[in-house]
Amino acid sequence: MIRITREEFDPAGLLEEARSAELGALVSFLGIVRDDGIERMDLEAHEEVAEQDLFRIRKEAIARFGVHRVDIVHRIGSLSVGDHIVMIIVGAPHRKAAFQGCEYVIDQIKESVPIWKKEYTARGSRWVPGEHE
Amino acid sequence: MIKVHIRSFARFRELFGDRFEVEVCQPATIRSVVQAVGQRNRDGLQELMDGEGKVKRSVILLINRERITGEGRENHPVAEGDEVAIYPPVAGG
Repeated sequence: MIRITREEFDPAGLLEEARSAELGALVSFLGIVRDDGIERMDLEAHEEVAEQDLFRIRKEAIARFGVHRVDIVHRIGSLSVGDHIVMIIVGAPHRKAAFQGCEYVIDQIKESVPIWKKEYTARGSRWVPGEHE
Repeated sequence: MIKVHIRSFARFRELFGDRFEVEVCQPATIRSVVQAVGQRNRDGLQELMDGEGKVKRSVILLINRERITGEGRENHPVAEGDEVAIYPPVAGG
């Protein structure tokens, strides 16, 4: 499943959906809004391109690491501390490929997918700088 | 003159607007389109162009949803009706 959504998602439910008899390893990454003294965070995306990029990243992870399953759910809209931002689930017969695939997916999202975060604090707001600025 | 559709996001959306059109002379290039966008805001040009008048490397550009990269990207042609998207560096995940 590849999805960009304004709705909350259920990590446990997504993991359960990803289970299958051939997958001996499911590695997941869950990104959460950290309490850095912020009141909320707005996430914005160029949705059509972001979704197209997530499909590309999934295809690359499968080709590079031989993983069998990649799910990516990314929230946009207004989020509060503790809310889920992104969940990635990578399934493979064995753990090594699943770990490598999962790290690859989150690194690629941070590098290239057109999504931005704006943080709001009591003193004002700021755009979160990208890791690749 | 040709009309080019622009979409901009995040910090650039706040500076320039999210969807609008610019008119540029032919033959149009990425550089001429970015200059036209930058002129919509007092601080716009310095956000998008460096001191030598080149498009900053940190500015991400797409034409019709395809990224335009590489050293010669400023000279990439832009045609009537193209959609040019302009991004600051991304920060998802």
